[in-house]
Amino acid sequence: MLGGLNTRVMMEYLPEIWQGFLATLFLSAASFAGAMVLGVIACALTIQPLRWLRAPAVVYVDAIRATPLLAQLYFLYFGLPRLGVVLPEMMIGIIALSLNSGAYMAEIIRSGILSIPRGQVEAGMSTGLSYLQRMRLIVLPQALRTTVSPVIGQTIVLVKDSSLLSLISVVELTRAGQRIAIDRFMPVEGLVATALGYLVLYYALKSAAGAWQVRNSIPGRG
Amino acid sequence: MIDFSGVNKWFGPLHVLQDISLTVAKGEVVVVCGPSGSGKSTLIRCINGLEPFQSGRLIVDGADLANRKALRALRMEVGFVFQSFNLYPHKTALENVTLAPIHVRRLGRAQAEERGRALLEKVGLGDKMGSYPHQLSGGQQQRVAIARSLCMQPKIMLFDEPTSALDPEMINEVLDVMVSLAREGMTMMVVTHEMGFARKVADRVIFMDRGAIVETAPPEMFFTAPAHARTRDFLGKILQH
Repeated sequence: MLGGLNTRVMMEYLPEIWQGFLATLFLSAASFAGAMVLGVIACALTIQPLRWLRAPAVVYVDAIRATPLLAQLYFLYFGLPRLGVVLPEMMIGIIALSLNSGAYMAEIIRSGILSIPRGQVEAGMSTGLSYLQRMRLIVLPQALRTTVSPVIGQTIVLVKDSSLLSLISVVELTRAGQRIAIDRFMPVEGLVATALGYLVLYYALKSAAGAWQVRNSIPGRG
Repeated sequence: MIDFSGVNKWFGPLHVLQDISLTVAKGEVVVVCGPSGSGKSTLIRCINGLEPFQSGRLIVDGADLANRKALRALRMEVGFVFQSFNLYPHKTALENVTLAPIHVRRLGRAQAEERGRALLEKVGLGDKMGSYPHQLSGGQQQRVAIARSLCMQPKIMLFDEPTSALDPEMINEVLDVMVSLAREGMTMMVVTHEMGFARKVADRVIFMDRGAIVETAPPEMFFTAPAHARTRDFLGKILQH
């Protein structure tokens, strides 16, 4: 199937693929930043005790996790203009991806925080550390360590999910690959070019996670 | 220094502390024993506010425990040592010890480290300053935990079954530290079944059962002539070997 791959056509479309790659990189990075901000806020709201602050965060996380990303994307794409909010497709895509990944990030961060034994928090209390000091000095540095792997995992999902933005006519990697399919009737060449782009992003994220883990491990323990 | 009067606590329907009245004077060493579930851990966890209670009054170092706002200031003066050590695994022994002095007492790092080093030396861990908790044995971890509490220079030290999670050969290295602390005049309340420790340094031994203080006596009287049948029964169970 790949034997007769027309690499000449692929090279011809390299500028488009490169543009698409950069677009995917940009909107993934922007969505990742948005997702982390939303995730940290939603997580902070779900673990604090005030019910009226907790409820909206819980509803947000549940609503996102219960519905498909594609539905969320179309909901924003068709829904926002009805509210009189007209944004470029790229912007709508970044908002949708941020909202979507943010809910998963919130759950990942929450489980990281809950994994810290209660006894350590009590030890902190017993020496007079305030709530914020306990969070900053004891809980978060450890929660972050256990959280990096699943956060990178979710980011890899985010990068791949960004291909859905091609459906609201954002020109990114998948859309760029489709150009080869549509212009030259060569879908396999288009898909291979697209896949290679995602593969590069995947390995970049994976090695970043690995390097971080090595640098921040507790000596003598993984 | 510690003054309970008529303290009651319930966990749901369970009456875990029943009308506790008890006074511990400065420099006194009080050992609390009793069967599991008798409320002895809950009792000492009330003293630094780790457990709230529903009725009665508890004054520690002049502060009323009902005032939750004053809790932080109080906790700076009351050290607490846990059964499960609860060291911070991402910090070295020295960092564990100096964390609170630096961030709570606002001590300079150099000064905190000097104090921390001296305390780790004192508990026999001069060569383990840079070790992480998981690189230490249980007995060593518990000694770091004691040093961590002492580094805040507390007026009172509370111990919640400090040797119960240790292998037998490590119990004495922890008890030795506690004995020397008691002899230096620290006010201490210790939940333990180490009756040798009680005999050696306790001023009073308290026996608790089902949430109530059943008996309070100086150690020689407590061990040789306990007044209550339940105390005799309990001592019979733990001292027969």
